[in-house]
Amino acid sequence: MRPIFSLIFNRNIMKITQNNQQKPESKFIFPKFLALFSLFISAAFLTTGFLSFFSVIDLSINKVLALVTGIILSTAFFLLAKGFYTLQNWARTTLLSILILIILVLLVKIIFEFSSIVFAGKQVLSIGEILKYIGKYFLRTILYMSIPGILFYFLYKCDEIFSETPRQRHLFDHTVKNFLLGTALSSILIVIFIFVFTFQESELAISEIGLKELLTGTIWRPGAIIGTDESHFGLVPMVIGSIYSTIGAIIIGIPLSFGTAILLAEIAPQSIRTIFRTAIELLSGIPSVVYGLFGMVVIAPLIRMIPIKGNTTGFGILNASIILSIMILPTVTNITEDAIRAVPQSYREASYALGATHWQTIKDVVLPAANSGIIAAVILGISRALGETMALIMVIGNSIAIPSPINDNPLSIIFSTARTLTGNIAVEINYASGAHRSALFFTGVLLFLFLLIINRLANHIMKGKKTS
Amino acid sequence: MNNSLTKQQRMAAAREKINHKPNIRNRRLVQSLAFTFLWIMGFTTIAVLIWIVGYVFVKGFPSINMEFLTTRPAGGFDGEGGISTTIVTTVYLVIFTLAIAAPLGIGAAIYFVEYANEGQTRNKIIRWLVKTARTGVEILAGVPSIIFGLFGFAIFVSYLKLGFSLLSAGLSGACLVLPVIIRTTEEALLAVPESYREGSLGLGATKWQTVTGVVLPAAIPGIVTGIVLSVGRIISETAIFWVTLGGSYRLPQNLLSSGRTLALHVYMLATETRAFDKAMGTSAILIIIIIILNLAINLSSKYFQKRLSGK
Repeated sequence: MRPIFSLIFNRNIMKITQNNQQKPESKFIFPKFLALFSLFISAAFLTTGFLSFFSVIDLSINKVLALVTGIILSTAFFLLAKGFYTLQNWARTTLLSILILIILVLLVKIIFEFSSIVFAGKQVLSIGEILKYIGKYFLRTILYMSIPGILFYFLYKCDEIFSETPRQRHLFDHTVKNFLLGTALSSILIVIFIFVFTFQESELAISEIGLKELLTGTIWRPGAIIGTDESHFGLVPMVIGSIYSTIGAIIIGIPLSFGTAILLAEIAPQSIRTIFRTAIELLSGIPSVVYGLFGMVVIAPLIRMIPIKGNTTGFGILNASIILSIMILPTVTNITEDAIRAVPQSYREASYALGATHWQTIKDVVLPAANSGIIAAVILGISRALGETMALIMVIGNSIAIPSPINDNPLSIIFSTARTLTGNIAVEINYASGAHRSALFFTGVLLFLFLLIINRLANHIMKGKKTS
Repeated sequence: MNNSLTKQQRMAAAREKINHKPNIRNRRLVQSLAFTFLWIMGFTTIAVLIWIVGYVFVKGFPSINMEFLTTRPAGGFDGEGGISTTIVTTVYLVIFTLAIAAPLGIGAAIYFVEYANEGQTRNKIIRWLVKTARTGVEILAGVPSIIFGLFGFAIFVSYLKLGFSLLSAGLSGACLVLPVIIRTTEEALLAVPESYREGSLGLGATKWQTVTGVVLPAAIPGIVTGIVLSVGRIISETAIFWVTLGGSYRLPQNLLSSGRTLALHVYMLATETRAFDKAMGTSAILIIIIIILNLAINLSSKYFQKRLSGK
């Protein structure tokens, strides 16, 4: 299996010794031909640039721009021609990269065309027709690919006649290294961009609405939509909704995940463990909308059947907690299991030697030793629960009032509908404007900062354990 | 008097120790109770999975047929039509997102593993930059998808005026999967034995030749695992594309047109139409895709381990 990049960049190491040897004559014609070809392209670009500049042909772009582009491209191809003539390896690398790019672009174009015929139709196509199109586009692919493909093949085959000096090699190495540093910095760049843009967008909310109303206001009523009295932007209902559903998810989900994690790490035989691991992987891979749909179609009618006064919809905090607990289960289980497995075997052996049973060992030795990992697991579970969006929108009911008990019993608050911070953003952002939109961005900033702190805390706990 | 009492006490304690049978039985009972509880917990987890997947499959499979797969959604409140355009949009989005995220992520991981610990990092600024970049990856990995969505909405949709489009969605999605790719690639590169590198460098190859000719080919299955993982992430993600991709059910003609992915289609069917059966059918297809991707990850990581342990 030879990956693409080693095709392009694999400068044969033996080449260093071959530089001084007599090269076989027949293979020299091909690079000379390529040099001529590049020279031709260079001339073509130059001519096109000048013709466009003197208005002989119309390229429908700025004339000066056309001239400059033409000159630059023609210089580049001239250099390429010179490189091929003197058998430089960088010329080969450049042309190979260009060829791969051309092949990719052509492929994308063909795929776009093919799918717009076969898949976009309102009517269903017959199998015969689909096969006809497949054949047609297969032939077209071969036709388009033939010239770049053949060039690519020959260029790849005659790699030993190209050469490079140690200085060029060093320069190339250095450039690559700096380029890779650039890619490594992309992540921190994205974090900075997230900060800058969300803060900048939420500025308006802070200046117009004020931090006090945003953080302590209990009414969320974007007046721009309802169009009646003045608008209110208090985030308290959403904060409470988020907190209640997360607490519910923790209460239901944590015992389940801890039980499963202890079972997998300590008790279950290898075969059962493999099955469970596959299942948990699948559970973490299922899209959140599927959970949301399940909550709407299955859990909501079940909750509706609970005979309590005022319980009519089935949507609300209880439903959201159940769905969330299933969603955080894989995260918490995996981290807890890892933490339990990281406890040294000698601890367990010492405990057995003292006469403790398996369960006593787990309860009194293994779990206390793994406690920092377990705490981190719970924190990450909370962070996952707070960040979840679409599944919650589908099951929590999305009312903008502060959740309150639906009858005299204060515990019946779990049947009340609510709205989460994340859901609030996702529901309203697509049509919001002005201060409303800015308030939503402020919600995002709040959530971002809070989750940042939580995640750093979890990381810190886990890392502190590792080093000690 | 005092002496005899202590003797009595000692005798009682000794008798209790000898008579340890109830104690053992007690402890065994507690242990079996606790283990039963744990097994119940474990099987509840599996039961929940089987319930969800089984329900979606049983309700979803009847609505999957050739027409469902090859016609486009008709729009409107009845949720008529198939899912062809959403499948194609999902494929476009996956390819486009990975085209941005994979080179960035793999490049960053190569730098972290191969270059960051070199002697040249005596340079203080570069050492600081590397440390910051690592923190950045950690932060990104914990950011929820709706924040990426907000970010994409602010910068790509509004500020750069790309609108709801494949381009905005792909760029935002790339930010989402970047930490996944960086982490898995890093692990794969770290798993390549140091002796491979030493052998290559000893033959006179440069660092970059070593990386592309020796280290990357050895780490390919691990990198593929990361890419497949991020494919799964993109397919199952909804929130980020809800605020950047729009929701048009037509086929995207170019990178600037709006569209909807499979997961987004499920959401829209469930919240805006009455077509729960079609939503279930689409969900079933999503779950099948995820199962296939998981199988691919398992196979590739097994292959990777076998290869590195010397076949």
